[in-house]
Amino acid sequence: MPGVVVLSLPPPPRAVHAGSRSPPRGRPGNMAAPELLSDEGYRADGRRPAELRKVRARMGVFAQADGSAYIEQGNTKALAVVYGPHEMRGSRSKALPDRALVNCQYSMATFSTGERRRRPHGDRQAGELALHLKQTFEAAILTRLYPRSQIDIYVQILQADGGNYCACVNAATLAVMDAGIPMRDYVCACSAGLAEDTPLADLSSPEEAAGGPRLVLALLPASGQIALLQLSARLHQERLEAALEAAGQACRALHAVLDRVVRDRLREVTALLGD
Amino acid sequence: MLRTEKVLQLRGQQGRSVRVVREHYLRPDVPCRSALCRAACPRDGKLLSDDVTHYVVPDCKVVQDYLEILEFPELKGIIFMQTACQAVQHQKGRRQYNKLRNLVKDARHDCIVFANEFHQHSYLPREKGESMDKWQTRSIYNAAVWYYNHCLGQMPVVMVTEDEDAIRQYGNETEGVFVISFKNYLDNFWPDLKAAHELFDSILQTRRERESESQENNGKEYPEHLPVEILEAGIKSGRYIQGTLNVNKHRAQVEAFVRLQGFGSKETELQSDILIYGARARNRAIHGDVVAVELLPLQEWKGRTVALCENETEDKALADTSGDPMPTGKVVGIIQKNWRDYVVTFPSKEESQSQGRNAQKVLVTPWDYRIPKIRISTQQAEALQEYRVVVRIDSWESTSVYPNGHFVRVLGKIGDLEGEIAAILVENSICVAPFSEIQMSEMPTSSSKNPWKVNPEEEKKRLDLRDTHLIFSIDPKGCEDVDDALSVRTLPNGNLELGVHIADVTHFVAANSYTDVEARARATTYYLADRRYDMLPSVLSADICSLLSGVDRYAVSVLWELEKESYEMLRVCYDKTIIRSAYKLVYEAAQGLLDGDTNVVDDIPELKNLDERTKQKQLSDLVWAISKLTNIARHVRAKRDSCGALELEGVEIRVQLDDKNNIHDLIPKQPLEVHETVAECMILANHWVAKKISEHFPHQALLRQHPPPRQEFFTELRECASAKGFSIDTRSNKALAESLDKANDPLDPIVNKLLRSMATHAMSNAVYFSTGSCPKEEFHHYGLALEKYTHFTSPIRRYADIVVHRLLMAATLKETKGDVKDNIFSNKDLQELCRHINNRNRAAQRAQKQSTELFQCMYFKDKTPETDERCVADGVIYSIRTNGVLVFVPRYGIKGAAYMKNKEGLVIACQGDKSCEWKPGSLHRFQNKITSTTTTGESVTLSLFDHITVKILVQTSRCHADTIKLEITRNAPYQTSDTEVSQKNFHVVKSDLVKQVSQSAEAAQRAQEKARVDVIDEDYQEYCQTKGASLYQLLEEIRDLALLDVSADIRT
Repeated sequence: MPGVVVLSLPPPPRAVHAGSRSPPRGRPGNMAAPELLSDEGYRADGRRPAELRKVRARMGVFAQADGSAYIEQGNTKALAVVYGPHEMRGSRSKALPDRALVNCQYSMATFSTGERRRRPHGDRQAGELALHLKQTFEAAILTRLYPRSQIDIYVQILQADGGNYCACVNAATLAVMDAGIPMRDYVCACSAGLAEDTPLADLSSPEEAAGGPRLVLALLPASGQIALLQLSARLHQERLEAALEAAGQACRALHAVLDRVVRDRLREVTALLGD
Repeated sequence: MLRTEKVLQLRGQQGRSVRVVREHYLRPDVPCRSALCRAACPRDGKLLSDDVTHYVVPDCKVVQDYLEILEFPELKGIIFMQTACQAVQHQKGRRQYNKLRNLVKDARHDCIVFANEFHQHSYLPREKGESMDKWQTRSIYNAAVWYYNHCLGQMPVVMVTEDEDAIRQYGNETEGVFVISFKNYLDNFWPDLKAAHELFDSILQTRRERESESQENNGKEYPEHLPVEILEAGIKSGRYIQGTLNVNKHRAQVEAFVRLQGFGSKETELQSDILIYGARARNRAIHGDVVAVELLPLQEWKGRTVALCENETEDKALADTSGDPMPTGKVVGIIQKNWRDYVVTFPSKEESQSQGRNAQKVLVTPWDYRIPKIRISTQQAEALQEYRVVVRIDSWESTSVYPNGHFVRVLGKIGDLEGEIAAILVENSICVAPFSEIQMSEMPTSSSKNPWKVNPEEEKKRLDLRDTHLIFSIDPKGCEDVDDALSVRTLPNGNLELGVHIADVTHFVAANSYTDVEARARATTYYLADRRYDMLPSVLSADICSLLSGVDRYAVSVLWELEKESYEMLRVCYDKTIIRSAYKLVYEAAQGLLDGDTNVVDDIPELKNLDERTKQKQLSDLVWAISKLTNIARHVRAKRDSCGALELEGVEIRVQLDDKNNIHDLIPKQPLEVHETVAECMILANHWVAKKISEHFPHQALLRQHPPPRQEFFTELRECASAKGFSIDTRSNKALAESLDKANDPLDPIVNKLLRSMATHAMSNAVYFSTGSCPKEEFHHYGLALEKYTHFTSPIRRYADIVVHRLLMAATLKETKGDVKDNIFSNKDLQELCRHINNRNRAAQRAQKQSTELFQCMYFKDKTPETDERCVADGVIYSIRTNGVLVFVPRYGIKGAAYMKNKEGLVIACQGDKSCEWKPGSLHRFQNKITSTTTTGESVTLSLFDHITVKILVQTSRCHADTIKLEITRNAPYQTSDTEVSQKNFHVVKSDLVKQVSQSAEAAQRAQEKARVDVIDEDYQEYCQTKGASLYQLLEEIRDLALLDVSADIRT
């Protein structure tokens, strides 16, 4: 089946990105730079290298939408809403004859970052992330079941604290499931970085800002297929495997959490339906 | 895991306040890292020992301010709380934080870090309105209580703090957890640790001074340094120039030079160094700092001083003596400070009174002329007057003329041999504590009763040469650490096989073991004039790794197959082997055998207890091998000579031995051919190993390069030679070697020696480097005329050889790829390591030179120059300056300056019998001679290579090392009947000198204190583990030293 694995090679890191991720210049005084991993093996927030941030998720948060989900990964909070599958809206010419069109939108709330910032039309980063989301979910949803129709996925970051894309993917997975759209598998996404030689799973925003390599992986855990893999900043070939392995482990761990959320939700809904 | 949040108010980049929320995870499984722990904490890594009387928890302020005291090895059971570590990281900067991290990593220090802020029960959130300090103290106290309870109260915990409130508040709160001040702690728990108390007082005082100072005093002495961003941008754009500051030792007050560092392609016009003139332009930079320099406009450029100058004469204007203007600049910022420990002397009573005003602050004078005076706050100034003292610089504000520092420890009395040697060690940052128990525990055991044996497992893996090869070593008499052995034999196909066998040190020193780390830190064995500090423990260097005769040893062998007639190299192989040396020959015996002298046979112990027939048989085998070896060596040498290998004269003073017992035997009157044979074989082995590893690891092999010298440095040499009518061709190493051979005055052999040593000075030093760090064309070794060279043959005393051994093993052994390859350094690490080894080597050479000078001075000190014959000697002029000449005294191997114009402005004049005296007059300097004309019309001319008579005086200096001073007494060669004799016995005289000085020093000490002598003798046993170095090593060293700038300080 063509297009089962969409390996999205990242565009070469742009100057915009590199600039925004480089560590802040002009540290106060001669303060030593913070270290990603202490000699005792703790990260700045007290996690060990392979540990994820705390994950909390809920499905079905909005009644009007076909499917919706809310997820918190540490302080990163994302909301995903799914409409469809429904008939093509707008220009019908975009309709695909053999499968459903997946339409994604990504946005960040104005209050999601430390300093309030308005992004009325979205920015380049948002467009890129939406495209990545689209690729990821085209690979995961069984789109051929719904020819000539459309599935809309809207994701919004409510609070940004690193790993925005990953939170979006995870939230969207739950929302798609909530909408009852058949998928090949869960899509779980998680990031990984490196402190010297040790891979770190699930980077928080200070860790992302430190400027090291960052690997983002979206995985279909049951089959182990990769839906998306993105690498920013340069990484030595020898270390790639270790980082990939760490990200994969993290994705599998996330899968367990998401699976529990789905099952809980199912139990809840069936209980409501009553016998 | 519990999740909480920390809310921080940070100041944003535009100065607005930003609210930042950070997650903070707490866990129950933070290991306590105590050996006492009864809970199920994981016990890997470093553990806090359980045999101390208490655990001590320093709070943030104590860690920040008194870390140096906590570094004392006597203080044990220290728990650094994470809160305190973070405070250091945030407030004290990287340097201090790295110090703390290294302390914790060091296995020898009994201290750990406890991550209290990540533990569920020991973490306390900061309360609203609580100040940072208060919260930190509270957290640390809480963590200390937790720790006490965690260990079930088995060990009392002492928290030390400088916060009076905390002591009051928490002092009696929990039984078993004591809260006291640091002063109190030292008084109660370490009353005998005097050094710590002194250090404490000195730090405390400095801090108080600084506090009070920051309030008063706003008159600025120096311009402020520019911020780092501006410097970086300026250097990039070419506006500022980055380089290392080098202070002129003889004019430390005013003259300093900045050596350019990686000068960009833009400044092609700036080939020379940049002059920094005056203290204000130097702007608080200290010798060795990496600085950013701004060039001054052309009209402000100055020339360097060419006159001889005594150190104590303060900067007087000498505009008339300066040379051509050169690029001059001023320091605008310091990029990297290079402060280290400095040896200083407190002012004597008279001086300290003149300093008057506030006796709390004392200006101390560093031992090194290039370092400015340092202001120390101490009340012990009087007590410390007679001692050499170590201090550290803390800060240098723009408001202060001198830097502020604090007192660290006492080394020894001024003029005392041990004290002065300790000063030399500290000044060169050489740290040679005895090997620790943990290092010794890694060593295999071997004793006379129970000698070390070959492991049968290992035996299978190695090539066994015990029965097939006749292996022997040639070393000086009394040598115990034999790291090289030789063999030669005829192969069945008629070809020859030459073998060089080197002790397999890496087999015993595993990469990153404690011994390895220590050896890496030392990088080399340090040879001082009278002693030596080994790189490896003696059990390795003198026993298990020493290729003694008649015992099985592990070796790394290089075997060449040679064509039988032409000695063409056909094949080479490198292998781990197991060998049994048959003979441990001394040089004289080997030479005797070579010459057919049968008397030496009795000196070979291995041949003694044999019957006549076997003896003759074995003897003839041995003689054949030695003569074959010599033939091969001649052949190889001739090949190398044709490429232009240099034979350079080292300054003979180097030929000194640490061994006091039989110096006469160790120093040959005539170098024997056998020496050269051995040396040539070693060079050959080094060369081939270099080839192999650089082929196999093109980007991370450790090689040794000797860059070709810059032609302009040869100008002086050419001019000198032309004075004697020789022409020196310096265009290539071959031409140089040939013309140096020709420049030989049959009447005066010293001329050639001096020319050779001048050629040496003109060259740069040979250095180690990583092949990944420079282009292939630069690998060349100029002095030896080899494409590639490395050090492989002395792993016992050089760390570079150990690295090369590991590289060679990784390159040749294929099956054990995994574990061997892991120990290979990457290019970056190797570059860093090379830099370290080169630095250490330089330090070792400097220390050796300084210790030699120390002995010279001590020798001449108690002679009265007026009466003592020994203080008058023959000297040769080898350089002319505007107010004097530089003289070489062959008898003692001393180089020094002799003035022709004294402080009162009188010049030298000669009487009829050619004796000299001071008279008013003037000096005229010409290219190759200098003339002094008195007002009465008499004149004296001294030209290059003239022989004159000089008197050797010692210029004593309280604060610095004593120096030798020469005074011209007669303008004629020194004439005594024993001139010839002393020339011949030159070496003996030199070594006698060391012996005499050390003996008299010892005698003095014995008289002082009997008990101390025992300690010193123990030290001797500890450090001088083996008697004597091998002569090959010495020759190697001379070869290396020959490429070293020995008298950079004499050239002004």
